[in-house]
Amino acid sequence: MSRESTHTQPEVGVFTTDAHLVIQVWDATLARLTGIGEESAVGRALTAVVPDLERRGLLKRFQRSLNEGVVEVLATAFHHYLILCPPVNASKHFDQMQQRVTIAPLRDEDKIQGLIVAIEDVTERLDRERELAARLAQGDESARLNAAETLSADVSYDATSLLGALSDDSWQVRRAAVKGVSQRAAPEAIAALLNSVVENHHNPALLNSALQVLASSEVDTLSPLLELLKDSDADLRMQAALALGEQGNTRAVGALIEALSDEDSNVRYHAIEALGKLKATNAVDALATIAESRDFFLAFAALDALAKIGEPSIAPRMVPLLEDELLREPAINLLGQLGDETAVAPLTTLLNTPTAPTDAIANALATLSDRYEEQYGEGAHIADLASREISPTGAQNLLDALESPGKEDLRSIALVLGWLKGQSVDRALTRLMGQVDLRNEIIDALVRHGAATVDLLIAQLTAEDLEVRRSAAVALGRIGDPKATPPLTNALSDESLSIDAANALGQIGDPRAVDGLLNLIGNSDTSVRQAAVSALNSLALPAMSKRIIPLLHDSDPNVRESAVKIAGYFGYPDAAGSLVDLSSDPNERVRCAAIEHLPFVEDDRAIDVLARAIKEETPTVRAAAARALGNMDAPQADRHLIEALADDDVWVRYFSARALGRRRSEDSVAALGRVIEQEKFNHVRIAALDSLGQIGGGRVAGIAAGLVRDDDPNVAHAAQAVLGKSGQRD
Amino acid sequence: MGLRTQNLALPGGAGALIQNLIHERTGMFFDNGKCDLLLDKLSPLVIERGFASYLDYYYLLKYDSAAQAEWQNVMNALSVQETYFWREIDQVRALVQTLLPQWHARNSGSTLRIWSAACATGEEPLTIAMALNEAGWFQRASIEIVASDASSKAIERATNGVYKQRAFRNLAAPLRDRYFVPEGSAWRVNSEIHSRIKWSVANLMEEDQIAKLAAADFIFCRNVFIYFSESAISRVVRSFSRFIKPPGYLFVGAAESLLRLTSDFNLTEVDDAFVYVKRERTVSVTEN
Repeated sequence: MSRESTHTQPEVGVFTTDAHLVIQVWDATLARLTGIGEESAVGRALTAVVPDLERRGLLKRFQRSLNEGVVEVLATAFHHYLILCPPVNASKHFDQMQQRVTIAPLRDEDKIQGLIVAIEDVTERLDRERELAARLAQGDESARLNAAETLSADVSYDATSLLGALSDDSWQVRRAAVKGVSQRAAPEAIAALLNSVVENHHNPALLNSALQVLASSEVDTLSPLLELLKDSDADLRMQAALALGEQGNTRAVGALIEALSDEDSNVRYHAIEALGKLKATNAVDALATIAESRDFFLAFAALDALAKIGEPSIAPRMVPLLEDELLREPAINLLGQLGDETAVAPLTTLLNTPTAPTDAIANALATLSDRYEEQYGEGAHIADLASREISPTGAQNLLDALESPGKEDLRSIALVLGWLKGQSVDRALTRLMGQVDLRNEIIDALVRHGAATVDLLIAQLTAEDLEVRRSAAVALGRIGDPKATPPLTNALSDESLSIDAANALGQIGDPRAVDGLLNLIGNSDTSVRQAAVSALNSLALPAMSKRIIPLLHDSDPNVRESAVKIAGYFGYPDAAGSLVDLSSDPNERVRCAAIEHLPFVEDDRAIDVLARAIKEETPTVRAAAARALGNMDAPQADRHLIEALADDDVWVRYFSARALGRRRSEDSVAALGRVIEQEKFNHVRIAALDSLGQIGGGRVAGIAAGLVRDDDPNVAHAAQAVLGKSGQRD
Repeated sequence: MGLRTQNLALPGGAGALIQNLIHERTGMFFDNGKCDLLLDKLSPLVIERGFASYLDYYYLLKYDSAAQAEWQNVMNALSVQETYFWREIDQVRALVQTLLPQWHARNSGSTLRIWSAACATGEEPLTIAMALNEAGWFQRASIEIVASDASSKAIERATNGVYKQRAFRNLAAPLRDRYFVPEGSAWRVNSEIHSRIKWSVANLMEEDQIAKLAAADFIFCRNVFIYFSESAISRVVRSFSRFIKPPGYLFVGAAESLLRLTSDFNLTEVDDAFVYVKRERTVSVTEN
């Protein structure tokens, strides 16, 4: 039998406040739901609009969200409403509209600028919930099952009415009720299930389902579980320890530390695991002692728990475990995760032995270095220390490990090898350059090794594997040694390598590359032309204009397009007239390039050319004109862009909307608001929202507020960003 | 740092948006460590469109009503076409020597259909056709081989039927000489074996595109799931299960396991090769 369809979507009104709880935005839905108009709310303190806020104990919930950045939910069952008003439609059971209220901080990066509050009218849903509860209590089996499944499937319904159904005569109704209760965990349900644990804990199915409910509960179940932790039955104590770990309540830590001395080793094991899950810093001494005991069953769990807790001060105590054959791998992992620079020496000492667990040590050193990089920007410090300590045996271990490692360890080994210098290391690293997932680390290492690796890399420019050739070109570009210019210039003729070679030549900046790069500006592949243009722009040679300006009139449109991009990039005054002429070139790509670069050359005709282009040209050129108008100083550009918001082509509208934001055009706010209301393509609406965020001002937040719950998360995200920015300005 | 991404803007969050969209539409999953690789592969398409930002390109793929054609370019850019003849031949042998004779004994009057579901540039279905021909099956049974790939470029090359030396690294020279003729530095497959295969473009994630193809007795879908997320693999295998003809044999690559991802197929071993067989469903009602 199918479940009843769920109720219609409740309406949601939204308001925002600043950091002083003064209302900033009051949306139209909220005005309709509450009967309080925008004009009566905006600019007033929340406590003036909701006078009983403090008396009802709700003000502190708002302040908590504001001060601590947490999301607060005012549950309907307890608070019933935030704003006193009648239901929109007559209700069988309620005189006041029942509201579910969500209070969330409005952030701009790390700072909380105010609150966004969503008020959901749940009156209709509660009416239905009461009807379903009545059916669940009195209906025939089919009606009860239908009611139980409907209540169970939608977590927005309250679970209280499902509790009675836990003892329903029908197993199907009971199953639906257990499912529903376990998703919510109301206090009454927890109490009932705890009783089940105590009375029936030898029934594994019931015990497990009860524990699942406990684990997903948000209700405090600490006291009954602590009682169970002292039960005479070891099995029950073990289950209690397990549940306390899943619960995540740190008030259980003391009792769990006591349980580390339980007579039953299974209870101790689960207490150790639970303390790890609770990240119980207070327990680290006790756990370290267990690890030091080298009891095989418990020491592993203790090391794992210590790693989870993450208390760095414990790391030095674990160093002696590196001598223990069985425990050294978890100890190595722990030192990688928690150790500081003092862990490097013991780890590398072990690496320098002939039977070292190389993969684990490399992994620990890489983890340590990554952590130092992330926390202090000092990954290189670990690399320095390690490179000084690793002996030839250690280096050979790493080289040997490259031959037969598991795939996940390759990155670590490559990273640690990269800290060392020497031809054999560089040769090993270049062999791995073709592996895409290791490429970044290897290129970084070879670049650090600098001039010493240049010859090796040049040799790889003709390797059989394309990925090796590409990585070699990238590394040579980053090293920047002009010695690589001739071979890289030769590599420009390797079709698969030309883009990377051009990029590298751009980075090296050697004028000898000019001719080779100019040979590519007429290439039929757009990406290759683009790479050559970018490289030539990077070279920035003083005499370049003399080579480029004649090419503006080349017979090949690809050459003209590239020449326009270079002339426009440098803004050659002598090229201004040609760029205006080329805005009427027969080739569309050339026209696009000329139009886009007109703002960067001084020519009074530019604005008129762009104004004509955005109205009369092909869609692609009109879109280019919109982008160009965004870069023009002329004030009349706004008018042309606003008109283009109604263009037939979606991309012209998109780029016009973006350009208006770039220009911070306050005159365009109303037009952008209309785009948000009427445009059928969401990326144009997003562009309009982004631009409103850039423009700012009082009206902007009001337009965006209604969209923070848009069905399209991209639109909602853009609206939230606008509100965040507007809060920051206010 | 990506190799080719430096000239294109990548606003905050745009990389993740593209990752998720590509996963949703193609099944291919580029985790965070491989996002650079994804952007690198897409950069020529972004530049070709005249965009200066990956975000603009994301919006094109996500929202533009004309994006369908662009998705084909994405498929062409992302598809991996590195394969060769006679690859993982044990499974093809199990088909030819054991499974096909069993099938033929039960269905001698019917047409057998084999689908190569991710055929790249065609080496796999041609391998199957050669193996069937070597065993004389085309004379004994009515056999249809259909082959598809999500990349139109790959199918174009498969239709052309010309292969470079690397594709022959596992194929014995006598077989190569029997089925291919030299053409410059490459080899062209002979038209008789080539014409045994019907080629088409199909995205495994689009059920309406694969429904007819998957109505086959044997499906080969090898070395493609290694690029897919678990959720995408489950979705594709569910489609296979829905359309495959009973008893329904599915071959996946040696490095790919479906055991954790589906209960629709059972893994069995046939002549040293692993093959998944569609599980027969029985309806039972239990009460507790």
